[in-house]
Amino acid sequence: MKKGNKIISIFVLAGMILSAASALAGEIRIGITMRMVSENGQKYGQMVMDEIDLINQAGGINGNQIKATLMNDECKSDKGVANANKLIFQNKIHLLIGSTCSSVSLPIVDVTAKAEVPQIIPHSTNGKITQKGSAWVFRVPVSGRYYAGVNAKYVGENIGMKIAYICAADAASQNDCDAMQKQMRMQHGAEPVYVAQVQEKEVDFRTHMQKIKSAGVDGIMVAALAETMARALVQSYEAGIGPDVRRIGSSSASNAPVPKIAGDAVKGVFYAAAYSDADTRPVARLFNEMVRKRYGIHAPDHDFSQAYDLIRIVEIALNNAKVSLTSSSLKADRAAIRDAIAGIRNYQGLASGPISFCSDPSPVCRDGNKTPVLIAYTKGGEQYETEILARVTMPIDFGL
Amino acid sequence: MIGFFTGVEAFFTGLSRIHRLLPWILAYLLLLPLPFLLKFGISEYYVDLANRACLFILLSVGLNIVKGFCGQVTVGHIGLYAIGAVTSALLAINYQLPFWVSAPIAILITGLAGIIVGLPSVRLEGAYLALATLGLGESVRIMIAVTPAFGSSTGIMMIPEPKIGEFIFNSFESYYYLVMTCAIIGIYLSFAILRSSTGRAFQAIREDAIAASVAGINVPFYKLLAFVISALYAGLAGALFAHMPPGYLHHNNFTIIEMVTLLLMVVLGGIGNIWGGVIGAIVVTVIYDQTKDYYFYQPLIFGIIMVVMVVFMPHGIGGVVKQAMIKRKFIENQEESRGSA
Repeated sequence: MKKGNKIISIFVLAGMILSAASALAGEIRIGITMRMVSENGQKYGQMVMDEIDLINQAGGINGNQIKATLMNDECKSDKGVANANKLIFQNKIHLLIGSTCSSVSLPIVDVTAKAEVPQIIPHSTNGKITQKGSAWVFRVPVSGRYYAGVNAKYVGENIGMKIAYICAADAASQNDCDAMQKQMRMQHGAEPVYVAQVQEKEVDFRTHMQKIKSAGVDGIMVAALAETMARALVQSYEAGIGPDVRRIGSSSASNAPVPKIAGDAVKGVFYAAAYSDADTRPVARLFNEMVRKRYGIHAPDHDFSQAYDLIRIVEIALNNAKVSLTSSSLKADRAAIRDAIAGIRNYQGLASGPISFCSDPSPVCRDGNKTPVLIAYTKGGEQYETEILARVTMPIDFGL
Repeated sequence: MIGFFTGVEAFFTGLSRIHRLLPWILAYLLLLPLPFLLKFGISEYYVDLANRACLFILLSVGLNIVKGFCGQVTVGHIGLYAIGAVTSALLAINYQLPFWVSAPIAILITGLAGIIVGLPSVRLEGAYLALATLGLGESVRIMIAVTPAFGSSTGIMMIPEPKIGEFIFNSFESYYYLVMTCAIIGIYLSFAILRSSTGRAFQAIREDAIAASVAGINVPFYKLLAFVISALYAGLAGALFAHMPPGYLHHNNFTIIEMVTLLLMVVLGGIGNIWGGVIGAIVVTVIYDQTKDYYFYQPLIFGIIMVVMVVFMPHGIGGVVKQAMIKRKFIENQEESRGSA
């Protein structure tokens, strides 16, 4: 009996291994690592998964189904790297999507470069991501180097040269803050009037605001993550800094919690982003409606639009890629998908300008979207509203 | 299961009678083929997981010295880990020092930092000491976060991997041999400390600091020593973490969440139990990895484990196994004596 059990166990095990192997063949495996610690983060993670489900329901890619695995990296580099390693070496993915945080995407670039797995980035804006020169990385969002250029141009021409900066310690905000100061110097020869380095989740800005008020500035740049930025904006009014002093937001200003938490204090705040819900193009209206219905988001920000654009780009690339999807063709399939993404030209989606990639592993080729849009809040609170101030397509080598 | 553990213990005790290092050499030899078994048996990824488990073993065994042996409540261990990591990384990048030089310097600097973290223990106890060490640990993270020279918000990139001549520790397998060797040496030294007069002084302080003082033990000195030894472990783990491919550090790696996870490893394994710390580190690393797909419930899972452990297994897994082994030995001895009678 015992011997019989052993034989059955061996057969069951062999069956499991064989079925796992057959399941691996004939499907396109995509790994996703994102910051899934906020409500919005979970919703756009869910949107990515839902869009992949819809592709599968419509017949998949050239008859092949996509198997997506979503993991949470909590915006921590060690967890992001562990996720990437698991997805690459255990799940044997063909393509990695992620991360949403620059400080996670930065080390993952080295992991994907070494393992030769194409990586496409949905939100991270830090310029260094594509400056590493990896042949396997592509960025859908607008790079931080472009945002600063647009903001500095608008500030110099319309607001003034006396700018104070509040810079939070997270990677994206720090990058935005440094780049803005650099651009103000380069474009207008303007030195910062006041610079405050604050914690990523700082709660008290009153001392800084009093100093800024006494400095008599033309504008305040608040570079911080959404909740932190909202607190700073509210406290700037509490300190008695009037609306005549314009508030400039970093890339996080587009996130929904900013107008929701800041309320009226968000009115007049402008920022450069990749997408505005005030966009009147039919594609944008349809997208806004879809996000509103599916996820209960009043006005989707550029994190949603970029995640959506990314999936469309991935869909096009996978359709164009000549993949075999056998257990022995993994390396070749990964290279084919990379080449197919590099072949994307003038993709017109929700982004304000076309997204294009090319094969050279340089920021010129791998920063896909070169068109930031300048947006201002016209109303705060739950039902916040925005307007588009300008769309600016930047030179491809700008800020390098 | 307990029979297995008792058998293993008896076997290793027998070996240690021949030479005290023999069980450790055997354990080391048994662990040598593990990366190949994992790579070809399951997946290459599990070698990476084993590497991370070894790092956590070093950390939890180190934390056990100050918390388990000496009974000092510390929540600043993660700050020491950060100091070790950042120091070694900066020495390697800015001064082109090889890992074999940068890591020992980082360990020494972390040891000195251990004195600072341990100083409050001379006057404070319990929750007050926990608060003081928490503050110091968080201060380290904040300092890294706001200081461009320490990587600030972008982090420290391109930290070189350790190498010997032309051989570079840049794969999961090669790095495994480095971290596993350090973990084995770390565990061995922890046992050596526990069995020494220093270890006995630590335990005396843990049981009753006043009684220990009356017995002639220099309590402040030994408390500080426990913090310093613990810091040396954290420094080594930090240096190994910094140089592990892809060689990237960010202040977000050293938050209070990481500290709580580390405490969970020690509590789960059993405070004061060296093997418990090892088991705790492995179990937490594996549970965390296997629940990745259920990220939404992960904090809940860890929270429930922590509460259940504290309520039902206050001495952790290590404590339960140890108790069962003692019970089994007792029963065997009773049966033997009955038989001989």
